[in-house]
Amino acid sequence: MEQLTNLIISDRELATISSVLSKLMNDTNATSAMLIDKSGQVVAVQGSELRRNATTLGALLAGVFSSSREVARLLNEKDFRNIFQQGVQENIYTSMVEEQWLLVIIFDKLTHIGLVKVLSKKASEELGRTLERVRSDTSRTKSSVLNVQFRSSVEDTIDLLFRD
Amino acid sequence: MALINIAAHEIHCKIVYYGIGYCGKTTNLQYVHRSIQPGARGEMLSIATETERTLFFDFLPLDLGTVHGFRTRFHLYTVPGQILYERTRLAVLNGADGIVFVVDSQAEKFEENVQSIAELEMNMRRIGKDLMSFPLVMQWNKRDMPTALPVNVLERYLNRRRVPSVEAVAFNGRGVFATLRTISKGVMAQL
Repeated sequence: MEQLTNLIISDRELATISSVLSKLMNDTNATSAMLIDKSGQVVAVQGSELRRNATTLGALLAGVFSSSREVARLLNEKDFRNIFQQGVQENIYTSMVEEQWLLVIIFDKLTHIGLVKVLSKKASEELGRTLERVRSDTSRTKSSVLNVQFRSSVEDTIDLLFRD
Repeated sequence: MALINIAAHEIHCKIVYYGIGYCGKTTNLQYVHRSIQPGARGEMLSIATETERTLFFDFLPLDLGTVHGFRTRFHLYTVPGQILYERTRLAVLNGADGIVFVVDSQAEKFEENVQSIAELEMNMRRIGKDLMSFPLVMQWNKRDMPTALPVNVLERYLNRRRVPSVEAVAFNGRGVFATLRTISKGVMAQL
């Protein structure tokens, strides 16, 4: 499948995503929830604990997921769509949203994994609908952000910051 | 795939350093990490073996600060160079916006470099991208080595697409930022 060049998240979509994550966190009593792109970029985060390390966690969790899909391939398994990492204090449940995003929930031993699985599935469906809207909106919003002034400023910044 | 978060005023791009084992991919990232102003970078993360060879990837987030109201970030990754890890390289390539192909200029590494480029082409096809129209920079690394091939030979056989190239000695930083500047601008131009 051809990969998208850009994914543009508007205010409206981010508000929906954040509200889905918040609801999921509240309903499962999870400590944090995040939505990442399969390339490792963080789309949205809920939960103060996670926010600090979100960028690194995004890269690592996307890597773990990507690696698990390769394991599936070697086992002739169609796909591993979910990963459950069980710790002493914290657990992580990661599930795929429409081949593009990963929904990550971090919860402690007071929350039952069954509840997380069921409610994640429900949240994934809603996030999937949001992703559809994001995909269809991409080209329209792009020009308003990436205008000539932006491109010229970013080049200057690159020259300034990445100098020898 | 760049992520443009209009609501959060953020732009994220992913740049992957590709190439054979010991060609200097990790060294590039380490030099950037060491030399760039601390406020512009996050912690460098390496998933490496006990002998410090890259097992999965290295990761270095860079923050260009706010440009026209948008916080612009580049995430640098390396792939593991060892032949064995072909599928891992494919996993890291997923969602890349630009690639730096690091070439070990030594004559004895020539064949391996050729194979690695062929593998990159195949991996790009697998993820539905055409390398012909993708931001790519060739870095001729290890220019200080006694058996380094002349640049015109490397250009002729390893850079058939005539993409931008930079001579480098990543170990002492020569060419490292020039490479990063070139690929970053290439990525931004394609957004």
